[in-house]
Amino acid sequence: MPKHDTPLLDELEKGPWPSFVTDLKRQAEKKPECFDILGQLELSFRDKITHWKHGGIVGVFGYGGGIVGRYSDVPDRFPGVAHFHTVRLNQPSSKFYSSAKLRDICNLWEKYGSGMTNMHGSTGDLVLLGTTTPNLEPLFYELTHDLNQDLGGSGSNLRTPECCLGRARCEWGCYDTQDLCHTLTMHYQDEIHRPAFPYKFKFKFSGCPNDCVAAIARSDFAVIGTWRDDIRIDQAAVKGYIKGDFIPNAGAHSGKDWGKFDIKKEVLDLCPTECMWMEGDTLKIDNSECTRCMHCINVMPRALRPGLKQGATICVGAKAPILDGAQFATMTIPFLEVKKNEDGEYAEVVEVIEKIWDWWMEVGKNRERVGETIMRVGLPTFLKVMEVTPLPQHIKEPRSNPYVFWQEDEVEGGFERDIKEFRKRNAQ
Amino acid sequence: MALSKDELKAAILEKALNGPKAQLYVKDFYACDPEAGPRDVKNAANDLVKEGKMDFWSSGSTTMYAAKGRAKDEEHR
Repeated sequence: MPKHDTPLLDELEKGPWPSFVTDLKRQAEKKPECFDILGQLELSFRDKITHWKHGGIVGVFGYGGGIVGRYSDVPDRFPGVAHFHTVRLNQPSSKFYSSAKLRDICNLWEKYGSGMTNMHGSTGDLVLLGTTTPNLEPLFYELTHDLNQDLGGSGSNLRTPECCLGRARCEWGCYDTQDLCHTLTMHYQDEIHRPAFPYKFKFKFSGCPNDCVAAIARSDFAVIGTWRDDIRIDQAAVKGYIKGDFIPNAGAHSGKDWGKFDIKKEVLDLCPTECMWMEGDTLKIDNSECTRCMHCINVMPRALRPGLKQGATICVGAKAPILDGAQFATMTIPFLEVKKNEDGEYAEVVEVIEKIWDWWMEVGKNRERVGETIMRVGLPTFLKVMEVTPLPQHIKEPRSNPYVFWQEDEVEGGFERDIKEFRKRNAQ
Repeated sequence: MALSKDELKAAILEKALNGPKAQLYVKDFYACDPEAGPRDVKNAANDLVKEGKMDFWSSGSTTMYAAKGRAKDEEHR
């Protein structure tokens, strides 16, 4: 495969940042099809249109996901990328790899694919870019048999579940994100590997409200760690921060001189619900008003820690802006203790998931994310399905509709009435 | 479920083979047995793929079903 002139792409190598163009040129020395990636992308830049066709009947036997068909619409000019399928691998929980595992995966991908990877895709998968249809089955065999690695989700499947580092490295983890992620990945193998839903469905697990995997913004089902008692305060450490013994934010912003730490300016005044104050040199918190923004804990990690009654809040329905704009997930279950039963299952989490699925599979339209279904039918309907009593926190502003729509079973005596009896007691 | 699993599979395959659309969403098969649950329908459709009678067609974000040979691969479009 010949080199192509790529004056537009070459511009992308001139900035201060590492460039994928440089990576592709380097990889093309070993894998000449990478010259054709560059050539086709240059053509797309000139034509201002993509030259990839996506989709098709590609996959491996028994699976209905994990591989995304990709073809060039100018295969005669760029035969090296005539087929250029994407393979998604299920990443280990929290993306902990040994370097040996990464080498093995890269070596296998050099053998069967272009060698180009994307670490990681938005759902967390290890994404292997560019292979041909005949290479798929041998690649899959070696992945599963030699590397003990499975494909991830794509299409109308449950997408590869993803979690934050959790308790493996973080003292704020309010539940074991890695174990929940792994357990549910194993529990829902059928849903990950074969289509089941009107559209994609994503799980993400964050151990605390810092939400390091952006579960609230990117997943249909976000499990975000929280606590239901009081923030733990070490008053001696609070004094230490005020005196300057400890660096605020654990040194995260220490590249610049911000002056002396000012607890009023940097913590108390920034609390979104104004639920913190000082009494002399003692820090006070009205925990009933805390919205778990994590700011105070992030600034003074030595002094403040999440409470001890830990669990998770479940939010449902985030999505990217394909229809109606981007949407955050809606808080649905304020607090759930995330614990395993004696069968090794997270039965309470599974129960919530399946209640959502049973409803969405029935009511959701084709290509409609669960968040869009909720928006279409309205939150009250969804809460009724979930058997959740509405809370003030479920709404983002005071009610603007003055009417209350009672259901018949909520009204004493129902809707049937004796009109003559009614007239006797009420003005004509 | 009004139909047995085999009857449901036959109804799904009939729709995939002779319906006006070559590629169908899983929800398009719900009408094959309105009394069957969505899970029963998707399991029956997925079985037909396993048996080699239907194919998955996926755009990467959505998956559709087609009777073997009815969906055209992007390579040939």
